Amino acid sequence: MLEIADLTVAYGPVVALNGVSLTVADASITAVLGANGAGKTTLVRTISGLVRPRAGSIRLDGRDITRLAPEEIARLGIAHVPQGQGVLAELTVDENLRLGGLWRSDPRGQRGALAEAYQLFPPLAARRHVEAFSLSGGERQMLSVGRALVARARVLLLDEPSLGLARLVLVQIMARIKTLVLERGLTVLLIEQNAKSALSVADQAMVLHLGKVVAQGRAHQLMSEEGLRHAYLGF
Amino acid sequence: MSRFLVLTLNGLTQGAIYAAMALALVLIWRATKVINFAQGAMAMFTTYLALFAIDHGAPYWLGFVVALLSGLVLGVIVERVIVRPVESAPPLNVVILTLGLLLFFEALAPMLFGGQIRSFPAPFSIVGLRLGNSQVAFSPFDAFTLGSVVAVMILLLVLFQKTNLGLRMRASAFNPEVSRLLGIRVGRMLTLGWALASLVGALAGVLIAPSFLLYPTFMDQVLVYGFTGAVLGGLDSAMGAVIGGLLIGFALGYVGGYLGSDLETVGALVILIVVLMVRPRGLFSLQRLREV
Repeated sequence: MLEIADLTVAYGPVVALNGVSLTVADASITAVLGANGAGKTTLVRTISGLVRPRAGSIRLDGRDITRLAPEEIARLGIAHVPQGQGVLAELTVDENLRLGGLWRSDPRGQRGALAEAYQLFPPLAARRHVEAFSLSGGERQMLSVGRALVARARVLLLDEPSLGLARLVLVQIMARIKTLVLERGLTVLLIEQNAKSALSVADQAMVLHLGKVVAQGRAHQLMSEEGLRHAYLGF
Repeated sequence: MSRFLVLTLNGLTQGAIYAAMALALVLIWRATKVINFAQGAMAMFTTYLALFAIDHGAPYWLGFVVALLSGLVLGVIVERVIVRPVESAPPLNVVILTLGLLLFFEALAPMLFGGQIRSFPAPFSIVGLRLGNSQVAFSPFDAFTLGSVVAVMILLLVLFQKTNLGLRMRASAFNPEVSRLLGIRVGRMLTLGWALASLVGALAGVLIAPSFLLYPTFMDQVLVYGFTGAVLGGLDSAMGAVIGGLLIGFALGYVGGYLGSDLETVGALVILIVVLMVRPRGLFSLQRLREV
């Protein structure tokens, strides 16, 4: 369980997050919605340790991870797939995938996880030894998610996976992620500007506006609140 | 033997040393986008340490090991103590720091080891091999130089391409932030990169010292030629650095041989300018790939 309490983050005088609290339950998908500049990306970057909060705390299964370095947070099983997918373009698909689990120093489990990732995303298997820069947007997204799988991450932070992806490709990838949530107990925090598609896969959702939480609840409830939809979600 | 062949063989040996220097520069450039102008001075210092050991009765090979190991350690110290504190500053700050470090080592060396010109021993004869009746411009020591540079390059290639450690180092160099998100301790990889670069530089130092003589600024020229080779090869390509260094070795050999040795430095400058004008990213840069 990922618990975020009263998180405040500022870049100089600009407050990006203002007292944000959120609990992400295990084996569920929680969507964080909001317009550009609402603080969504800041939220995930703070969880993964890339940004230091001014106040508040982040706990993973009760353990305080607020001040840990990003590499140590990753080693606790939190995989952050940054906006633009964060593949290492100069490395091959295989190298990218292997990098996910290198810190585990468990070669056998590693090979198994690698095979699984290829099984889950067959297009990657076909392009195993190709440099990642030549992949399509959808393949890159698969690679990032596959890498989190190889790392055997318990928590997946997905920052705007819909960006630059064809609708059908996105639906396919989200379906795979949903499978991982149901079968493996993966916990997903899904950052999206595209509220409609995010709410259709999420269990819980939160809406951020200018760094503050303006709504929080079950996804289908938020979906049916017309005022909220018009004011913040744009559909 | 024809003059051309003599110059080519000379160029090959010199080029191998410039290639090692170029490789040292590229290893750090790739990881941090910093040109370590102290690379030559650091190599000078480790060569002095080797000579210090040999002066005190150590056999040549122990001196050789002293040079390489002290190179490794010096790289770690420089990265941890000098570079790490300004890690988040713009790269120019670090570059200026390396210039300061260059002056520091060149001032420290005469204080510790004396400023006079010293000769440095070679483990093998530096007299050209005899083939039948004629003497070839290629000595056993040249063969050793070439062999050890090639060996180090193969070891580095295996490290980077075939091992998990090398994979982590490459990832850290290409994208530190994403690497950290993958649980890679990027700080350690940077330190290791500086250590390896410094080791390769130290190798260049002990290999060139027997033919250059040893004095506090003796590596400055090697640094300039190595840098030219690195730029020629494209700065971010290790293979490019090696080929660039070799090409510089050949080119300067011909310039020195046919036009006069005073013109070697000018020759390097001309090559540098032409490369920067015609192909600013060098011959083997990965940049073009990334743009596609």
